[in-house]
Amino acid sequence: MDDRVTDWRGGLGMAAVVAAGLIIAALFVLAAGKSPAAVFRVMLGHAVATGPGLAEVMVRAVPLCLAGLGVAVAFRCNVFNIGADGQLVVGAILATAAAAMLPPALALVGFLVCGIIGGAAYGGIAGWLKARFGVSEIIVTIMQNYIAIQLLTWMVRGPMQEKMGMFPRSDAIPGAAMLDILVTGTRVHWGIVIALAATGAIHVLMRHASFGFQVTVVGRNPLVARFAGIRDRRIVLLAMLVSGGLAGLAGAVEIAGLHHRLQDDFAPGFGLLAIAVALLARLEPLAVPFSALLFGILHVGSGAVQREIGLPFPVVWIFEAIVIFGCLGVTAVGRRKVTA
Amino acid sequence: MAALLELRGITKRYPGVLANDDVGLTVAAGEVVAVLGENGAGKSTVMNVIAGLIRPDAGDMLIDGRPVRPRSPREAAALGVGMVHQHFKLVPTMTVAENIVLGDYRAGRLLLRPARNAARIDGLCAELGLAAAPGTPVGDLDLGARQKVEIAKALFRDARILILDEPTAILSRQECDQLYEIIRRLAARGVAVVLISHKLDDVFAVCDRVYVMRGGRVVGERRVADTARDDLVRLVVGGTLDLPRRRTGAAPGAPLVSVRDLALRRPGGPIVLQDVSFDLRGGEVLAVAGVEGNGQAELIEALAGLLPPATGRIDYGFLHGRRPDARRLRQGGLGHVPGDRHGMAVLGDLSLEANVMLTHFHMPGFARAGLLRRQPAASLTEGLIGRFEVRTPSTTTAIGRLSGGNQQKLVVGRELNHATRVLLAAHPTRGLDLRTIAFMQGQLLDHRDRGGAVLLVSSDLAEIWRVADRVMVAASGRLRGPVAIDEVTVEEVGSWMTA
Repeated sequence: MDDRVTDWRGGLGMAAVVAAGLIIAALFVLAAGKSPAAVFRVMLGHAVATGPGLAEVMVRAVPLCLAGLGVAVAFRCNVFNIGADGQLVVGAILATAAAAMLPPALALVGFLVCGIIGGAAYGGIAGWLKARFGVSEIIVTIMQNYIAIQLLTWMVRGPMQEKMGMFPRSDAIPGAAMLDILVTGTRVHWGIVIALAATGAIHVLMRHASFGFQVTVVGRNPLVARFAGIRDRRIVLLAMLVSGGLAGLAGAVEIAGLHHRLQDDFAPGFGLLAIAVALLARLEPLAVPFSALLFGILHVGSGAVQREIGLPFPVVWIFEAIVIFGCLGVTAVGRRKVTA
Repeated sequence: MAALLELRGITKRYPGVLANDDVGLTVAAGEVVAVLGENGAGKSTVMNVIAGLIRPDAGDMLIDGRPVRPRSPREAAALGVGMVHQHFKLVPTMTVAENIVLGDYRAGRLLLRPARNAARIDGLCAELGLAAAPGTPVGDLDLGARQKVEIAKALFRDARILILDEPTAILSRQECDQLYEIIRRLAARGVAVVLISHKLDDVFAVCDRVYVMRGGRVVGERRVADTARDDLVRLVVGGTLDLPRRRTGAAPGAPLVSVRDLALRRPGGPIVLQDVSFDLRGGEVLAVAGVEGNGQAELIEALAGLLPPATGRIDYGFLHGRRPDARRLRQGGLGHVPGDRHGMAVLGDLSLEANVMLTHFHMPGFARAGLLRRQPAASLTEGLIGRFEVRTPSTTTAIGRLSGGNQQKLVVGRELNHATRVLLAAHPTRGLDLRTIAFMQGQLLDHRDRGGAVLLVSSDLAEIWRVADRVMVAASGRLRGPVAIDEVTVEEVGSWMTA
């Protein structure tokens, strides 16, 4: 059901957040003795105005979009899933582990489904603990992130290490489980289609399906939800399953489309970045791909800045921090207006 | 007597509604003035203008003859305006003393230092007859005591003009009398009191003058001493009023709900009600009378499937032995009007339509293959708006933008739509105006006459006598009765309530 009446105002708020983020980032550039104008020219020039740059932006945006959709679903339910990192990694591990056992005809679908199952199961632990015992999902998912990353570190040096035993990485997955390249000459793979399809599906789920309505109601007020006949604990668990499943899918797509094998640190900080992506999209599924693209541009652009201007400049992290703070601020102000 | 507060030509327009149209009023020091009117008459807007919450489109406000324009409650407070809202603005986890000083910089800018003002706080509590110690958390107080804390908060800020919004809506008879006494004492001390109400009893009990509002305008001003009740009623409703006469129904049918040896407690709390056994039958209105806080809220939540019984059982004939929960009960034909509308029945920032969908999405016809169907919800909402005279710009307006009475009309309408068998209604007419109350009570009786059952929780004995067939009384942790309403007198029930 609709609460779109106020959306354009929220959109303005988010535009202000982006502007503030850019201005503050510019101040950091100034402090480092470089010209902000030059830096932003290089960033945009490389990331948007060149074919290879744009292709890399899309490659980077795919996992951010999928994991960001997952974060949006959980946050709408007022379940703060900080664990997209862990769910993404576990999804990737399970999919890679299962890859060799899958029949060739089902290799790709099976690979992606295993990713979803791995992420959903891992997220489901936090969801179940919250629904059953009221345990804070924030604490649980943060802890789970560390466990998953250690698990990955161990897997690629132990049980899943490549046969050569040289590098901390697994063998390549079977070719049948890989996502094809979509644009020849770039690394842009079919993952982008999966991300857009997932966006459409989650939009329908959240906006038009009974499940999404229940998620919204539980997120706003669990007492109202119970009064209305919504089984709120079950919805919390389901929201975490969907959220983790999307993060797990992001992990599987990243392996199937890009790395083709499990390796250390293959998705650095994607889970936390996904939170910024979801918040900037105001938890609106249709806005998530655009938000993911913006962060993709920042990532690819800041790489170019490092190379061309020689400024080791983690603009993405500064920007991410400002977006999270800004979004929380804008949301808080919006809440106050509604209740006044 | 010179006016302490004067409003001239106050006009405030909202999209689609003229909330205030050329409103003028005066209050002198030591005077108690009522603003009387139906829901949506514009009373709240006037009061919010005085309190600095709303800036009028036109008109002037004068204090001591000087024009003022408070832009926030803080500025209004600095001008001597204190406001007690209908829904209290207190922090339940903080103590009485902390709540009183909270937000007042003179009590300490960084830290709350209630101890510095202990003498003043003790004095105020004593003056207002607040029995609780200043160190008690506000969450532990009953509603009457919380109201006194709100008044103390205003007086702590040296309020010379005190605005009370529907102060008696949530109070028992006895608490009302206490409040009237407090108002008289404050007036004697020179405080100007503006009492917003839709209850004639308030006007005649304590007010010197009364302004009557209707449709955003002041339609009359009277000295209370020279005014008859009928005259005021006519001004309020703009005509004559037809209260439904008590209609007796057909013989009640089979029990729809059977309660046996029930005991109830909040999770982790003490037992609030025990040894409860009764049948709720089709074709009857069974009322639960009693001073609020005697387990009625828990009883109605338990019957709605929201609070599991501590011991005993509740059987619903229409569930055919399936385990009762809120969803199955709704699907089986149970509607529930909770006493706490804000906490439970609506989501203020969602549209009217979404708030109708809220309780209907699991009902047949409202969803197909997991997808919500908007059309049935939209047409049901349209129908409820028409039938229950909900004043709203559209079905997509956020329900929180409507006045409390209009929200309540939509909630009662929605729940009646669910209640093909049983309606649980806690204070369904609280906060409504006289004409709407009559209409709602008529709806309850119609439901009964169609063979439905109504469990009505009310603290208003007049209402119970107008609609109920049988009555139970909640007092000291037990339910007395049920007895047929024809076999008891109001006095008897009143004495059980206070027993």
